[in-house]
Amino acid sequence: MKKKITIGGIGSVLLGDDGVGPYVVRLLEANYEFGEGITVSDLGTPGLDLVAHLSGQDALILIDSVDNGASPGTVTLYRRADILKHGPSPVRMDPHSPALSESLLIAELAGQNPDEVLLVGITGHRYEVGTSLSHAARRAATQALAETLAEVARLGGHYRKRSNPQDSSTWWEATEANDSTALLLTNS
Amino acid sequence: MARRITIDPITRIEGHLRIDVEVDNNAVSNAWASCTMWRGIEKILRGRDPRDAWMFTQRFCGVCTTVHAMASVRAVEDALKLEVPPNAQFIRNLILIAHALHDHIVHFYQLSALDWVDILQIPKADPARTSKLAESLSPWPRNSRNELKAAQDKVNAVAASGQLGIFANGYWGHPAMRLSPDINLLAFTHYLQALEYQRKALQIVGMLGSKTPHIQNLLVGGVANAIDFDSPSALGMDKLEQIKILLDEVVDFVNNVYLIDVCAVAASYPEWFKIGSGVTNYLAVPDLPLDTKAGAYDLPGGVIMAGNIGGAQKFKTASDPAFRESVTEDVTHAYYQGVKPLHPWVGETEPEFTGWDGDKKYSWVKSPRYKGQPMQVGPLSQVLIGYAQGHPLTRKYAELALSKISAIAGVNATPAMLHSTLGRHGARAIRAAVLGELAQKHWQLLVDNVAKGDLNVHNQPVFPSSEVEGVGTHEAPRGTLSHWVVIKDGKIKNYQAVVPSTWNASPRDQSGAHGPYEASLLHTPMARPDEPLEVLRTVHSFDPCMACACHTFDPSGRQIARVKVL
Repeated sequence: MKKKITIGGIGSVLLGDDGVGPYVVRLLEANYEFGEGITVSDLGTPGLDLVAHLSGQDALILIDSVDNGASPGTVTLYRRADILKHGPSPVRMDPHSPALSESLLIAELAGQNPDEVLLVGITGHRYEVGTSLSHAARRAATQALAETLAEVARLGGHYRKRSNPQDSSTWWEATEANDSTALLLTNS
Repeated sequence: MARRITIDPITRIEGHLRIDVEVDNNAVSNAWASCTMWRGIEKILRGRDPRDAWMFTQRFCGVCTTVHAMASVRAVEDALKLEVPPNAQFIRNLILIAHALHDHIVHFYQLSALDWVDILQIPKADPARTSKLAESLSPWPRNSRNELKAAQDKVNAVAASGQLGIFANGYWGHPAMRLSPDINLLAFTHYLQALEYQRKALQIVGMLGSKTPHIQNLLVGGVANAIDFDSPSALGMDKLEQIKILLDEVVDFVNNVYLIDVCAVAASYPEWFKIGSGVTNYLAVPDLPLDTKAGAYDLPGGVIMAGNIGGAQKFKTASDPAFRESVTEDVTHAYYQGVKPLHPWVGETEPEFTGWDGDKKYSWVKSPRYKGQPMQVGPLSQVLIGYAQGHPLTRKYAELALSKISAIAGVNATPAMLHSTLGRHGARAIRAAVLGELAQKHWQLLVDNVAKGDLNVHNQPVFPSSEVEGVGTHEAPRGTLSHWVVIKDGKIKNYQAVVPSTWNASPRDQSGAHGPYEASLLHTPMARPDEPLEVLRTVHSFDPCMACACHTFDPSGRQIARVKVL
């Protein structure tokens, strides 16, 4: 039986470097094919809905921006114990961070928690409203992708590089406000 | 002498909300609701293609993704006077209902039940006796002694480990906790089961919308689902049958577990039918359109002013002129520039942060008003407006719930009791039951329409070069959502979202009138001001969702929820 692994990008693509998790997911989808049992998803800022995505999985790999005081673009790995170190005290504090510890604890209570949890954290640079990443976050995405693939391999999951990579540009960056095209203009 | 208590942030909600109350003689004498994070995401939409807007608005909130996508396409369709094919209406309606059922189940069990259920009483429960009690309340098959015992064992194990885990932050043993150990056990058992059923509801959203949490199947003018009863990859009978099975399971849970639990908990706390009413002006818009022109709806809308249920006014359509013309946003007490209340089509979102000052500006939330009045939105508004208009399904489930509460509590429960904290919970469960029955109806409408040979799912939008305005509404789980768009030369000129939690969490307006959260907290009794459980009960009853801002995972754990008593 293949291990069930969920790889999820977390963050808001409308808030600058908070969108780095979904961006890494786009890079993974465009450039790699994954074996049976592996799901790759842009999970946005799911709050407690994360429970639905991690329940029943053998392993969870999340890619998210973190606020840890390191210099922008630093990639830091956190395991389950690191995430839960401070307990569930920040219960429901914000769109996604508390949901991570709370979701893990709820899934555990229900006996549905993944055995292995890895958070690939990328220290962001700016989080203002906007759909593009800072250079630091974009550079770190490559390393975060490598860490994600290394974890998949460690867990015994299969992946291979696509022979014909897809376009890895993201819809939120591709449709910039000032170059929207292909409108259906009439004089009605 | 009044004491000031600050709860920042309110826990077990989505996003950032701060509540300040003054407490005098163990009751709340004044209240302020503030959102502590700025949301100005609408700006991102200016200059963009209106057909893409829904993909961006879907990211406004990670929990309410679908509702913002739907309101956006509806806004553009309203501006273009574009009709939507019946299949697309039914598919959208099914997605909206499945999302709402998911949301309501999560809210009651995962986000608010622990305000009423005392986990540490569970070890004292008797599973056999609880099972017998449960069987007297509901035919639900998963109330067996074994199932209840297994749930009790989980709590015993957590208590024995000394690591309370997910329960570490509760006000256990608080004098305002009054359920019997058996009801505590029953509710907690269903807390665990709820995780399965809310997931089934999300699966429906995913099957119809291609993905969750971000659906992929919307288009301005319809949906992108290919309907073909002979192709396995398209939306065919196989997939629809799977959806129906999931839907029936979720509906069964709503009717035989959720609705019953709310009645059982409510019957144990009858005083909470007298607490927390606040603003008794109610607003809801019609939803679940039944035809291409969106002229007929399965859910009614309108307004009730000053609690006068008999004088309810009706909206004929989801963009009724009475609604379109009556909404303004006031920024007197919000951190934005501006003096006069503005209509959303000419709305501005220019930040002006001045720091928390209860007499001046104190929130990032604007104050939406209807004809200048604060309005409560959400399931309570939906149910009271439906009840007032004689909407048969609302009446059916409201009367069922009231008779259940009457029987359990030995009181005469009336619709007037719904103007309260527990009324909001009751109304949410009633609304969920109404939605469940309507999902089954709309599933059948879709199947029947396709069986007639109508496979159309999309009408092509055509953009005029002139300036056009539109409003897209949706009666979302938390209440009336409206997206307001101005389109010029096929591009977005202005975009404003007036979201349900803005109506409810709004600060005071220029006349000094409280928003609904604030008003609902006045006179709330507090047994222990440093453990403000009663405030949380009322705030949670609105199902606050302030998840409108960015925040990143902070591994240092320095953001600790705190209660500050001055």
